[in-house]
Amino acid sequence: MSRVYKFLDERLNLTPLIRSIADHEVPEHADPSKHVSAFMYCFGGIAFFILLLQALTGVFLMLYYVPSPEDAYASVNYIENETAFGGFIRGIHRVGTTAAVVMVSLHMLRVVLTGSYRKPRELNWIAGIFLLLLVAGSCFTGYLLPWDQKAYWATTVGVNMVASIPLAGGFLADALRGGSEVGALTLVRFFVIHVMFLPAFLVIFLAAHFFMVRRQGISRPL
Amino acid sequence: MVCSEEKHPSPRRRFLANGIKALAGLFGLGLGIPLAGFFLSPALKKSRADWIEIADLGQLRQGEPSKITYRYVRKDGWRMSEARRMAFVVRQDDGKLVALTNRCTHLGCGVDWNSATQRFTCPCHGGAFDAQGRVLEGPPPEPLAQLAVKVEADKIFIRDA
Repeated sequence: MSRVYKFLDERLNLTPLIRSIADHEVPEHADPSKHVSAFMYCFGGIAFFILLLQALTGVFLMLYYVPSPEDAYASVNYIENETAFGGFIRGIHRVGTTAAVVMVSLHMLRVVLTGSYRKPRELNWIAGIFLLLLVAGSCFTGYLLPWDQKAYWATTVGVNMVASIPLAGGFLADALRGGSEVGALTLVRFFVIHVMFLPAFLVIFLAAHFFMVRRQGISRPL
Repeated sequence: MVCSEEKHPSPRRRFLANGIKALAGLFGLGLGIPLAGFFLSPALKKSRADWIEIADLGQLRQGEPSKITYRYVRKDGWRMSEARRMAFVVRQDDGKLVALTNRCTHLGCGVDWNSATQRFTCPCHGGAFDAQGRVLEGPPPEPLAQLAVKVEADKIFIRDA
């Protein structure tokens, strides 16, 4: 391993690059080995780790999942019952959804408690709000994909909430559903939003989020 | 910063670093093995076909192969579809049943039993097989494929061997 690294480092001069990305001292107030209460500074990192798990398991689930009304339920059933480790991998993805929401909420709570949203970090708070919405959107769109009764009716109710927005509501709901009813077009739309659009924005906003943390440092508590 | 320590890290630091690596490795394996298994699962799975009931014993013709067309449920991943297939069932001299597919082993055309000449003939390239499926003439490289057969309560069941 170290020989491989040495080979690459000699040619590509990686060490300064890795230093600048990964080698930073954890400030004392955020170091759980110095103050036990500092564990709450880990929530954001854990949330990110869960998102990585979601991406990884999600890509693998796409090996079998088919977003069409005829095949969706049967393909999820196939994943659960006829593939090796299918139940385990889908289980991670399903439980990971809840875990992501919990960790993002705890992270947000920590940021509120330590007042970290204030100047100069307002922009990072805003990026965080976008990330919260993107995670929520992923939960909502992913929920339809098994195409069972719960999925169908949850989406029907969710889109009806959008429809209750004054003036633009009806149009927005139709755009989301791809028509006036939850059907084949809704399923494909939600699938593509779930696996392409939202992840793309997640990457962008996560990159911005981390860039700002690195530029501004970890905030001190009040 | 720990630069001065980097060349000769303290035992404690080395222990912690190795511990983290071990944990990461454990986590990687715990995730990597299921993911690889999940990906490879269709290739690893030995899916045994189900027995398909195709006919009653009484329907068999004496002395020569009986052509039997049957329906079965074809499994393709999560899709189930009904398909039709054809097989020939022959009673050997010792009384045992042999089931043959009707696919010529040359290029897969459908062979048929010819009572007059007492042989299976393939319409495509003139391959011919005897009643047991052995090659008599023409290009087929091997005998007609056999299916597993069993008889239960006077019903004939077959399964892909």
